Amino acid sequence: MNQQTFLYQPKISDVMKNINKVMIGKEEAALLSIVALLAKGHVLLEDVPGVGKTMLVKTLAKSLDCEFKRIQFTPDLLPSDVTGVSIYNPKEMEFEFKPGPILGNIVLADEINRTSPKTQSALLEGMEETSITVDGNAVPLKDPFFVMATQNPIEYEGTYPLPEAQLDRFLLKMKMGYPTASQEMEMLSRTSGGHPINEISSVITRDELVSLQKEVEEVYVDTTVNRYIIDLVTGTRKHEGVYLGVSPRGSISLMKAAKAYAFVHDRDYVVPDDVQYLAPYVLSHRMILTSEANFEGATPESIIEELLSATSIPVKRNISE
Amino acid sequence: MPNTINDQRSTVFKLMIYVIGFLLFCEWLLPLEAITETKNVTIFFIYATFCFFISFIQVPWYLSMPLKLLGLAFILDGLYIAETIFSGHWFSILYDQIIFNVQVIQAQEWWQMTPLFRSLLFLILLWLMSYLLFYWIVVANRMFVFVLLTLIYVTVVDTFTVYDGKWAIIRTFVLAMAALGVTSFHKEMDKESIALGGFKKGHLWVLPLIAIILFSTVAAYASPKLSPQWPDPVPFIQSATGGAGPGGSGVVQKVGYGENDSRLGGSFIQDDTRVFTAMADGERYWRIESKDTYTGKGWEDTLEDPVQTVSPDNIPFQTFTDEVEIEEQQSLIELTSAADFQKLVYPYGTTSLDTSDGYQLRVHENTGEMDTLKGDSPAKLNRYVINYDFPSFEYDQLRESSTEDPEEIKENYLQLPDSLPGRVRNLASQIVEDEDNRYDKAKAVESYFSSNGFEYSTTDVPVPDENEDYVNQFLFESQIGYCDNFSTSMVVMLRSEGIPARWVKGFTAGERIDATDVTYNDELQNKYEITSGNAHSWVEVYFPDVGWVPFEPTKGFTNNADFYTDVETDDSDSAASGSDTETPEDNMGNPQQMEEQEAASDSESVNIDSEQSYVWVYVLAAFLILALLVLYVTRYKWISAFLIRRYRKKEDEETYEKAYQYLLKVLEHKGFKRKPEQTLRDYAFVVDRHFQSNDMRRLTNDYERVLYRNESHRSHWPKVTELWENLIKKALS
Repeated sequence: MNQQTFLYQPKISDVMKNINKVMIGKEEAALLSIVALLAKGHVLLEDVPGVGKTMLVKTLAKSLDCEFKRIQFTPDLLPSDVTGVSIYNPKEMEFEFKPGPILGNIVLADEINRTSPKTQSALLEGMEETSITVDGNAVPLKDPFFVMATQNPIEYEGTYPLPEAQLDRFLLKMKMGYPTASQEMEMLSRTSGGHPINEISSVITRDELVSLQKEVEEVYVDTTVNRYIIDLVTGTRKHEGVYLGVSPRGSISLMKAAKAYAFVHDRDYVVPDDVQYLAPYVLSHRMILTSEANFEGATPESIIEELLSATSIPVKRNISE
Repeated sequence: MPNTINDQRSTVFKLMIYVIGFLLFCEWLLPLEAITETKNVTIFFIYATFCFFISFIQVPWYLSMPLKLLGLAFILDGLYIAETIFSGHWFSILYDQIIFNVQVIQAQEWWQMTPLFRSLLFLILLWLMSYLLFYWIVVANRMFVFVLLTLIYVTVVDTFTVYDGKWAIIRTFVLAMAALGVTSFHKEMDKESIALGGFKKGHLWVLPLIAIILFSTVAAYASPKLSPQWPDPVPFIQSATGGAGPGGSGVVQKVGYGENDSRLGGSFIQDDTRVFTAMADGERYWRIESKDTYTGKGWEDTLEDPVQTVSPDNIPFQTFTDEVEIEEQQSLIELTSAADFQKLVYPYGTTSLDTSDGYQLRVHENTGEMDTLKGDSPAKLNRYVINYDFPSFEYDQLRESSTEDPEEIKENYLQLPDSLPGRVRNLASQIVEDEDNRYDKAKAVESYFSSNGFEYSTTDVPVPDENEDYVNQFLFESQIGYCDNFSTSMVVMLRSEGIPARWVKGFTAGERIDATDVTYNDELQNKYEITSGNAHSWVEVYFPDVGWVPFEPTKGFTNNADFYTDVETDDSDSAASGSDTETPEDNMGNPQQMEEQEAASDSESVNIDSEQSYVWVYVLAAFLILALLVLYVTRYKWISAFLIRRYRKKEDEETYEKAYQYLLKVLEHKGFKRKPEQTLRDYAFVVDRHFQSNDMRRLTNDYERVLYRNESHRSHWPKVTELWENLIKKALS
């Protein structure tokens, strides 16, 4: 994949510069997070602790002038710890709503698979709807609202794996991975004299972010590109190693993400390259492989790779269709 | 300046390659004289040289076009137009000719095309070829394909026509070696960026190249070569295509008339291609020639001389004496295009020929071989009426004929090879021992085969080994064969008994076609169709008072000569006689018939013309195919040039898309294949990395906007077309 020809949209470019001041070698993860944010989606990070997830989200929040909240999921966490709770205020003689961490702009849901499904669903409901229900009252969520959930790799003990239906609600799933040796060297030298996160300031306002999100919706997707998306998605349903293929929601997500990705690169139309680049992040967590395929060592990523190299790119307008 | 030295050198290299290419091209022109009626081939050579020269010096088109056109006009003027060149009348003649020929072409009456127009087309073809070959050889540096094509052309022409390509092949080979040597050297120098400091060191590579070429040529020439491994494909192809084929080969190894009988034997495939039709009063032997010398393997002709060229009104060749009873008859012969011999086919007793003017006969007085000539060169006579005295031989006359043969006859027609096994002679004397006269002896030998289990077959006939006698093998070992086996054996056995005999070739009577719609004269005549399969050989035996009398030893065939007896009426031989005594009327002198003969003569000349123009059309077709091939190989160049012009003017999205797709095709042709799953951006990146520019990315970016953004892009058009042109040119350079 060659990205040399791409230039970032000016405002996004500012955000990326900000993030690069704090994070080293995490440009791709940062960019994908911005893509998800602009597409009004959420990100699931599957990685071990300590690779910079929190720092990334914090930096992002700070750059965007957004309210940052963090929920550390533990087995004994209750849904009300997420949504907030109404407490009786003896002075006012009435119940007063104490908002939970979900009512922030950018929410880091750390180790989401460590908590019980009941608590998980409290978060996931909020991710899908624009409001949450507390004590029978609908409480609107903030706008923009962006969740970055992390989960430990499934093999770890004491986890409650997220059901497929809930995984579907994340626009992207990605890994951050460890930095390279030289990146880590750079990191050490940078953090020795005070953390750089304290030195950055916001580069766009919350209102600007909302209008950017609107602009993303305006990005043009041609039928040729849509057809390519459909080809890819139906490919997952037909693949013999796949037990459950990607749902139509997956197609929509891929299109939305591609729009945001195109916008980030200062383009008002989607090209197949966008789709190709995003497909592994958008589709891999939306499919279940057959046990045979698992046994043979296939992963959702490898199957998407295979489909990408088997699906031809539309290079001309097919008038007959 | 190193650059100028390089330039000079490459010019000299190019010149060398180009000259070789031109010489190869000459190999294409050389056979024309032999296989077509093309006259003045030299003129075409000169014009080709002229065009090639003009192409090489690379003058601008506004100079080269008029120059070549001028040359063309001069040639047409010199050859065909008697008027002052470029006078009003001159142009009007040219105009009339072109209009006439265009009409003829539209009517698909190819044979009507005039020589002027044919030459004009041919000259234009040479013009185009000079341009195309220049492009191919010098610009594209693609020598090998042309070399290969030339070799194929020469072999094909050699195989399928009378043209003898032996030396042409050798010349082509030498030229090809030289060309490939020079090009490969040139390419190597280019690749390695070697500068050989001018031409002073030329001997470093010129001498080895010459040595290698000489060595391989001499080695190839001197080394033993396999004889042809499969039979000549021409008769089969002609048969398969209904007998239409260009030119004519004298050598036919399948069934049919052929000239070379020095190695007889082996099977052949039946072939029913019609060779000619004949109107005749009865079944006739259609004689072509006789042969006198038996070699043990086959027949050689040692008595080709004396030869005299005569007009067809009076043919000085007789096989029998005046003492034989004759009947004047006429026969109309029409040769088809499958008849590939330029000889007269005639019945016994031929006296004269009615045919169109200008034809002459070259008569070999001993063999009876008559070459048909027009002017001085052999020409095929397609339609003619033969006047002949049909002989009837009287049995007693034959039986009572003396055996005092003239010295000349004895000398020529008793020859037998020394290697002839004794048992052949013994068998001959055994067969004839009970007979007391020459006729009965001949009859005894003639009928020996049918009564002794000999089998007629065209397949499973063995070829005698190197040390084996053809007749010996047939008589004592195989006992299976066809006319050549039977007739040769009979001649050999008769000669061993001291009876002069010779071996005759021609055709049998053929098959009578039932349609009796006789157009040739008022009388009812039978129409016979003679095919290649009717090619035949039989025996003539010499009787001092009678002359040469035909005998038919081949099992299953009947003698077409007429025999009668004055006294006895139930001679067993009368069954063999032809049924032609029922047409006693004299056909001569019938005015209407004469008229028809004239008409026949007229239509004959038309036939001849068409025959020639057919050959011409084939040659033209061959050149066209070559031209098309060259066009195909260089297709991207000229299609691009054409499209560049066209796309400049059109500005719609559809054109843009087509143009971009075409660019992809050109790039693919040049080795940049876009995989189906590769996005245009990735592809553009790869292409740009190769050309070290960003044109493809810029163009692709723009194309993407049209394709994926559904955007109109008129404002960018000039920029886009420029990028596109640059890329096409870069890709093709």
